[in-house]
Formats: sequence, C-alpha cells, structure tokens
Amino acid sequence: MVPLHFSHFQSLLLFALIISLAFGTLGRRKPIERVKYAAWSFAMFLLVGIALGWLMYPFSR
Amino acid sequence: MFEERTDSPAAGEESSAQSGEQASESAVAPAESAALDPTHETVEAPSAVRAVAVALAGWLLPGLGHALLKMWGRALAIFLTVGFLVYLGAGMRGNVFEPGGEDAFARLGYMADAGTGAFYFVARSLEFGGSDVSHADGDYGTRFLATAGVLNLLAALHAYEAARGRKA
Repeated sequence: MVPLHFSHFQSLLLFALIISLAFGTLGRRKPIERVKYAAWSFAMFLLVGIALGWLMYPFSR
Repeated sequence: MFEERTDSPAAGEESSAQSGEQASESAVAPAESAALDPTHETVEAPSAVRAVAVALAGWLLPGLGHALLKMWGRALAIFLTVGFLVYLGAGMRGNVFEPGGEDAFARLGYMADAGTGAFYFVARSLEFGGSDVSHADGDYGTRFLATAGVLNLLAALHAYEAARGRKA
C-alpha cells in the first residue's frame, strides 16, 4: 500500500468530514436534518480545531 | 437514500425467542382481539438476545447490525465510514496496537482498534510495512484507526438500541 501523506490541516479536514457525515447519519432520521447536523458538526470541528491550534501557538516556541 | 423503517425493527420475528409462558399469555388475548378487529396488529416485545446478536454482528462487520435491521442507509454509512478511516489510518502508517500491550496506553489503543471488528485484520494486512509514528502522519493515522474502532462500537450500541425497539 502506498503511504499517504497529509498536512495537519488536511488531516483535520478529512477527520472532520468523515466523522461529521457519520454523526449526521447516525444521529438524525430525516435527510434534511442529517445534512444540517453534519454541516453543523463539520463547522464545529473546524472552528474548535483551529481555535485550539491558535491557543496552543504561543507555547509552541 | 436513507429511507428506513420507523417502526420497531425487532418486532415481527420474536415469537420463537419468547419463553413458553410469555408466549402463551400473549397468544390468547391478542388472538381474540385480532379476531374482532381485522386491522389489529400484534406488537411483540423485542428480544434482548436478538438485540445482543445484532450488536455483535455490527461489531464484527461494521454496518452488519443495521443491515440486519434493514436500516440500509445507516449500514452503508457505517461500513464506508469505518472502512475509510481504517484505510486512511493504515495508509498513514498509524499504530495498529497488538494484544498484550506493555502499558495502559497500548492496552487502551488495542481496545479501540479491536472495536473495528474484522477491519482490525484488514488494517494489519494493509500496513505490512509497520507503523511509523515518528512523523505527524503516523500519529494522525493512529487516531484515525482508534476513531474507527470507537465509532463502530458506538454504531453497534446504536444497532442494539434500535433492535430493542427504542428510538434510535
């Protein structure tokens, strides 16, 4: 198998996308509610991930 | 795409799982009322044994639990999600923990990885070069694999709840 290489942000995007889709599918019944929940979950993953990254930034040096 | 049964998935095939006493009790009254009312449907209690079997099936092969309940959309979503996470985790050379780890982290990691059921062995076979956590890719891959396992356990629990007839 060819090794896969992703940047930190790409890994975050992939993780957030896959998990959000799973949460939406498992957590809601109606298709429109699933889309809304998945979109909300994806946005929160990104927002919180980036916010935590900036919070840790001063301690990275 | 995601049309599923909204009624209790466990209802309908439970008569064989009930005890004789319970079956005889539930067989008399509903039969009489059904004779009076042709639209009457007998609602049988979901079987705990069947629900456990569904959960185990869902753990062994991601999505199988929901497929047994004819929840096709969720079954496909779980299979693809767990499979894709395992593929990515192994491709990023994440750590696939083995049983009998030396410390608590390794043991917990194995429990999470084993949550993927049969996909655990797929990850082992895909990652023939071994893990490499000296780079960020490998570290992320380890998390992807663990997440796949925990997500599958969550899905198996979801299938159990659905098989018990609870809102899921």
